[in-house]
Amino acid sequence: MTIIPTRLARPSVVSSSMADARTRALKLYRDWYRAAPEIVSLYALNVSSAYVRHAIRERFEKNRYVTDPRAIDVLLLKGRQDYQETLNLWKQRDHVEGILLAPQHRPHKTFLQKFYEGRDEDSVVPAASGIV
Amino acid sequence: MGLKPIITISRGLSTGPSTPVEKPAVKDASDIVTPEAPRDVLVADVISGAPSELRHRPVRIYQPSRNTMQSGSGKSERWRIDFDILQGGGRWENPLMGWASSADYMQGTRISFRSKEDAIHFAEKQGWDYYVQPPVAKRIPPKNYSENFLYRPGKLRIVRTK
Repeated sequence: MTIIPTRLARPSVVSSSMADARTRALKLYRDWYRAAPEIVSLYALNVSSAYVRHAIRERFEKNRYVTDPRAIDVLLLKGRQDYQETLNLWKQRDHVEGILLAPQHRPHKTFLQKFYEGRDEDSVVPAASGIV
Repeated sequence: MGLKPIITISRGLSTGPSTPVEKPAVKDASDIVTPEAPRDVLVADVISGAPSELRHRPVRIYQPSRNTMQSGSGKSERWRIDFDILQGGGRWENPLMGWASSADYMQGTRISFRSKEDAIHFAEKQGWDYYVQPPVAKRIPPKNYSENFLYRPGKLRIVRTK
């Protein structure tokens, strides 16, 4: 497979309005959504494409209520870059499994579990440790 | 509490005793506080990818105290942000050597700024819960060799012994 670095590259755009930003976000989400089976086959993942779509949806939902147009533009740019890097196979399998598909929500813990862990437990969970 | 006339101490140029003067409880233009206009702050914490746990940690904005070593007052003009230390299970003592350990990845982090406003702006952008510690006013006592030998009634001169 020949690598074309500019494949899927997009120029960074400043959204003219919130409606425009919304259209671009939907476009990006659709691209990710359609690429799910390809991501599974590219990285030989042991998950279904439905799970990949679920993980993608989670990431979009996390930023659903961002209203700052500048922040939305940056998020869109980062999403595009991530998309390009994923589909061009510029990532390792661990990047996809550990970062892209990592669950966003930690499992609910009972009072005693929290007590045994200590009261700072929530504050010291690293960002990308992969530990839930 | 009702409105009371504000009593202030007025001081003239003379060294006589100060006399209290009643001021009418009328607000002049400088007393009226206008609410600050909402500032346009970018929500950088959404973009930066920093863990959302940081939003619940208080940060301190302060001016570091003077270094007692040869660097003198260097770097003490700048303002710093650092994170409050966690008191619970984020810290522990190494059972073998007694070293202090921490799981807190922000405890060694400190950020320097040129001014207080810069630091506040940064903390606001990141959505951090900040408080500003007022700087301690530095008083440099005047040093004068001849002061040691000045006559002051009622006060003993410095007697140095070898």
